[in-house]
Amino acid sequence: MTGGSKKLLWAFGAALALALPWLISDRYIQHLLVTSLIFVIFASSWNLLTGYAGQFNLGHAAFFGIGAYASALLALKLGVPPWIGLFLGGLLAAAAGFLLGIPSLRLSGPYLAITTIGFAEILRLVAMNWVQLTRGSLGLYGIPPLPGFWGLEFTSELTFYYVALAGAALALFCFRRLTRSEFGLSLQALREDEPGAESIGVDTNRFKLTVFTISAFFGGFSGALLAHYQRLISPDLLSLHETFQALTMTIIGGLGTLTGPVVGAVLLTFLSEGLRFVEDAVKIDVRLIIYGALLIVTILFMRGGIVGLWERLSAGRGRDQEEG
Amino acid sequence: MESLFLQQVVNGLIVGSVYSLIAVGLTMIFGVMRISNFAHGDFSMVGAYIAVFLLAWVPGWMGWVGSLLAAAAGVGLLGILVERGVFRPLLTRWTDLDQIMVSIGLFILMENLAQLFFGATPRTLSDPFGGVTVNMGLVSTSAMRLLCFAMAMVIIIVLEVYLNRARMGVAIQATAQNRTAAQLMGININLIYAVTFALGSALAGLGGVLYGTLFAIYPTMGAIPTLKAFVVTILGGMGNIRGAIFSGFILGVAETLGGTYISMEYKHAIGFVIIILVLLIIPNGLFGRSEK
Amino acid sequence: MRLLQTQKVTKYFGGLCALKEVSFNLEQGEVMGLIGPNGAGKTTLINIISGAFHPSQGKVVYHGRDISRLKAHQINVLGIARTFQVVRIFKRLTVLENVLTAMVDRSKEGPWKLVWGSFFKRVCAFKQDPEACATAEGLLASVGLLRYRDEQAENLPYAMAKRLEIARALATRPKLLLLDEPSSGLNPAEQNEQIKIIRQINEQGVTILIIEHVMKVIMDISHRLIVLHYGEKIAEGTPKEVYSDPLVVEAYLGGEAHA
Repeated sequence: MTGGSKKLLWAFGAALALALPWLISDRYIQHLLVTSLIFVIFASSWNLLTGYAGQFNLGHAAFFGIGAYASALLALKLGVPPWIGLFLGGLLAAAAGFLLGIPSLRLSGPYLAITTIGFAEILRLVAMNWVQLTRGSLGLYGIPPLPGFWGLEFTSELTFYYVALAGAALALFCFRRLTRSEFGLSLQALREDEPGAESIGVDTNRFKLTVFTISAFFGGFSGALLAHYQRLISPDLLSLHETFQALTMTIIGGLGTLTGPVVGAVLLTFLSEGLRFVEDAVKIDVRLIIYGALLIVTILFMRGGIVGLWERLSAGRGRDQEEG
Repeated sequence: MESLFLQQVVNGLIVGSVYSLIAVGLTMIFGVMRISNFAHGDFSMVGAYIAVFLLAWVPGWMGWVGSLLAAAAGVGLLGILVERGVFRPLLTRWTDLDQIMVSIGLFILMENLAQLFFGATPRTLSDPFGGVTVNMGLVSTSAMRLLCFAMAMVIIIVLEVYLNRARMGVAIQATAQNRTAAQLMGININLIYAVTFALGSALAGLGGVLYGTLFAIYPTMGAIPTLKAFVVTILGGMGNIRGAIFSGFILGVAETLGGTYISMEYKHAIGFVIIILVLLIIPNGLFGRSEK
Repeated sequence: MRLLQTQKVTKYFGGLCALKEVSFNLEQGEVMGLIGPNGAGKTTLINIISGAFHPSQGKVVYHGRDISRLKAHQINVLGIARTFQVVRIFKRLTVLENVLTAMVDRSKEGPWKLVWGSFFKRVCAFKQDPEACATAEGLLASVGLLRYRDEQAENLPYAMAKRLEIARALATRPKLLLLDEPSSGLNPAEQNEQIKIIRQINEQGVTILIIEHVMKVIMDISHRLIVLHYGEKIAEGTPKEVYSDPLVVEAYLGGEAHA
């Protein structure tokens, strides 16, 4: 693809993203758009840590939950403005990420996976049982929305869409910069071969802590966004299933690629809703069955996910053109 | 006071025997194949449902014994299918990550298929003793729980004998210790893998039936035995069978005591707290790891 | 001038003694060969010098400084680079990226500084930095890998992967290069090529410590040799001296007889 047509594609994509909620007036679909954008951030932040740096974190829901609870509680109990809460939620999650990074200095593979699950599960139990603060399994409700400005309100799906879009754009911009720089190459070196990375001077311990912190920040940020959008959160945000959601989206889209989690998050959000109509017809919950099956099929037969497949196809086409 | 303590220790040992049984299957599969199967607890769930349906059909003792046999056979067979279809294709070209993620896919799939087939209503297994309680001086427990404990012990002992005496059992142990050497000695690795996975899954299935005598059975229950089994496995050193047996009891007792004296709400966190501490202080687990 | 000195380096693994009081000097600019039968402790010695292990006793002194407690990445920053017996290249990065990653100046740039640089550098995308790419391409050309520039490293033939590892090590601008069997698994033509490359590196002033089993290679390029046997240094000298040493002959023949 030439530079010019690439730019054109970008411009088209941006215009479409901006115009989308006006083209679709259905509030439910607008709601899905918002949800998928929040998951774009959440899944991408997991992808930075696991796809790029190779640190297998199965406790990512902890960051999602910390961000959501922190921002919600700050607003409810201390009256902190939600706009600031979004970032404070991210910062608090980042601190937790730094903490969770410490075991990763010594553990990998299944050991790290279980330790990170344990971390998230312990936090989930705290959110369930610290009733005075979190209202336990009832969850927090009445979370204030993001305050409006310049006559804009952020209470409707339509307006919140632009907040989520801006958030996702900001996060993706950061991820793009981070992964293409010397920092990103060092992360990938760490993923590929730790002793090899050490041998060229990469301080693997400090890189692990750094990437855990950054990834957790964005995980927390996405959780905080969700809190002020739904205005109702429960300890389920910290459950293993939220992490698996991010994992499934990222892998089906393409692990270790920038666009993978974006494609995966949008696709799966809409696919699962599409299936809801089928479910209404046959009265059977098939959504998660398809999730599971797609995950297995992707790993077995489609390494690199949808993005990987696309790249192989377009590379193959390019080669044909060269030869032909 | 004393009797409460003893009572809780006994309860812990009973729960622990089931943890041990399920974890032994997991650790065996890891030891031989280096697979961390996050769907392991869902094999237990399938085993428990086999018992639910069989007992509904054939009540009483016959059904009970039949359930154990059927669960072992059924889940073992399921294990063979899963090993062939999902894990074996990845065997030569996977990274740790691929393998764990494919098992997570399996976890999501099985859990939701179960919801589809079995419905969301929780079930329990009927008690062949009709709720008789056994009194043993300071402590008492139901006959059903005692039976559960006894069955778990019998299965574990039979397994120990099999692994140390039977030809196939010895070959499995040899493969766990050194895959290349085992291959050089003419052991058919693919067969070993199939048998190990079937055996490990069957143990999960049996554990599931016994788990069902203690706790409710529902489609998404698998996550709990999976996580407990991982905690036990890591505590005992991944791949270490005896380590898993002991650690299962340790976790069972630690949980019931913690639940009584510290906090009921955080009972399920105790295992995680223990392994996080253990991994940070002694990364190879309490009993060392079989791998170098 | 003395570049590196090991002083009675001893290493135990459990109760097993892998290295016993090994002392030697490495002069600036020389090529030192490290030979010995399998299990003699050669790789252990390189692992200790490069910081992958710490010695149980004894010291490693580099430029007059004790480096035996430093970590591998710190030692690399001081100017010691290495290759591995089994290649440890970054498989899912391209050949160019493998070298670029090693070029980052780690003495100044910790991870947070690199994060900062991702946003506020003149060229944020490292692969688009023309200066860095030119240097990396120069390195690739010097080991004959330029035509594989954009290939995924995992697709390289084995001989090329070994060269890539050398290029990656060179990209850290080392004064001392530790090579662990750089020509194992190569055919004779590839071995000759490898000798040429190593000699060129040495001619540019890089001191080299090399483990090698292929006699032709070691005799061709080393100025001096040390022989390890069961963790002990049993001989040191020019290749000719070493090969006429009866102790060495016995160690090798004895080793063969047992094997």
